[in-house]
Amino acid sequence: MKIVIANGRHEADFMIKKFIQDNHKLVIINSDQHFGHYISNTNHVPVLFGDSTKAYTLDDAGVHNADVLIALSTDDIENYVTCITAKRLFDVKRCVSVVRNPKRVDLFKKLGIDSVICSTYLLGESIKYESLIESFTKTLSLENDKIVITELLIEDDYLIAGKVIKNIDFPPRVNISCIFRDPEVIIPNGDSLIKAGDKLIIVSTPKDQEMIVKFFKTKVDDDE
Amino acid sequence: MMKKNRNKILIIGSGRLGASIAGKLSAAGLDVVIIDKDVSSFRKLDDEFGGYDIVGDATDLFVLENEVLINEVNEVIITTNSDNVNLFIAHICFYVYDVPHIYVRLNDNDKGILLKNTTIKPIYPFSLSFEEYMRKRSENDNYENSHS
Repeated sequence: MKIVIANGRHEADFMIKKFIQDNHKLVIINSDQHFGHYISNTNHVPVLFGDSTKAYTLDDAGVHNADVLIALSTDDIENYVTCITAKRLFDVKRCVSVVRNPKRVDLFKKLGIDSVICSTYLLGESIKYESLIESFTKTLSLENDKIVITELLIEDDYLIAGKVIKNIDFPPRVNISCIFRDPEVIIPNGDSLIKAGDKLIIVSTPKDQEMIVKFFKTKVDDDE
Repeated sequence: MMKKNRNKILIIGSGRLGASIAGKLSAAGLDVVIIDKDVSSFRKLDDEFGGYDIVGDATDLFVLENEVLINEVNEVIITTNSDNVNLFIAHICFYVYDVPHIYVRLNDNDKGILLKNTTIKPIYPFSLSFEEYMRKRSENDNYENSHS
C-alpha cells in the first residue's frame, strides 16, 4: 500500500516504524523541520518538509493515488484541508484525520473525511469499558462505537466450556465470529465445540457487550 | 419543516475587511452580525455599526447554531486571517447549513480549486492587487506614450 503521513510527532514516528516493517510504500510530509530530520534520520526514509495544506506540497511529495493518507497535525483544520485537498486533487483513496476536538468527529465525516479519530473520545470510551469489564477481556470498537469486538478467553470452570454451540442457550443478538484455538482459527457453526483455552471473538453492539460477557463467564457453580 | 426566514448577514472575522463591510452594510440598514474570537478586534468597527457583535469561535457548530443563529443567515462573508479556517467555515456553511450566499477571502489562489462544485464565491487579494498593478502600469504607459 502507498501510505501518506502528514505531520504528527511521536505518533507519526511510531506509525512510520510499523509501516516500514510491513513493507508499505511511505510518503512522509512534516511541517516541523527539526522533527522531520529526526524522523528521517532514525527511520532512514525521505521526509518532505512543507505545509501539507498546500496543493504544491502534496504534489511535490507525490501523494497521487495513494491508498491512505493519515493527517496527524495538532491543528484540526489543517488536517481537514490536507485530507480534502488530497482527496479531491490527488485521488487519494482514503483519508484519515486525527482531531483534538471531539465535537468535530461527526462534522468532519459529514464533510467527506473517511475516518476521523479523536484520542480524547477514544480515551473516554476505553476508560469506560476498562472499568466495566474485567481486564482479560479485550475489546475493540469500530465505526465510532456502533460495533464492538470482544475477545474472551474460555476458562475451565465456565459453564459453556466443553459444549457444542447448538446446545448452548444463548441470549439474543450474540454472534461468535471466530474461535481461536492456537494455531487454528475456526469459523464456527452449530456443531462447533467450545473448549477451555479457546479465545472467542464476539461481535456485538456496545449495549449488549456487558450482558454477553456476563453470559459467557457464567461459571459452573453459578448455575447451581 | 417550515423554512426559516433568512435575512441576516453574517461576517466572520473582524479584521479591517470584515469590520469595514460590517459598518457599510449596517449603515445601509441591513441586519448584520459579526463574530470574532478576539473581543479587541471589534475596536475596528466604526460608530455607524448597529448590528450584533459576538465573541466566539465560528468553527464551533454550537456557536453557529445557538449564538449566530446560522439558519437565519442569507449571506456570509468569511474574512479570518487563515485561509484554512476560511475554507473550512465556507464548507460548513455550504454543506451543512445551505447558506445561500457565501463569500470567502483566500490569500492563496490555489485553494480556490477546493470550492469547485459549490456556489461559494472566492475573493482573492492577490488577484486584486495584481490586476490593480497592471492597470496602473498600463495607465502609466499610456501617459508616457502620449507624451513621447
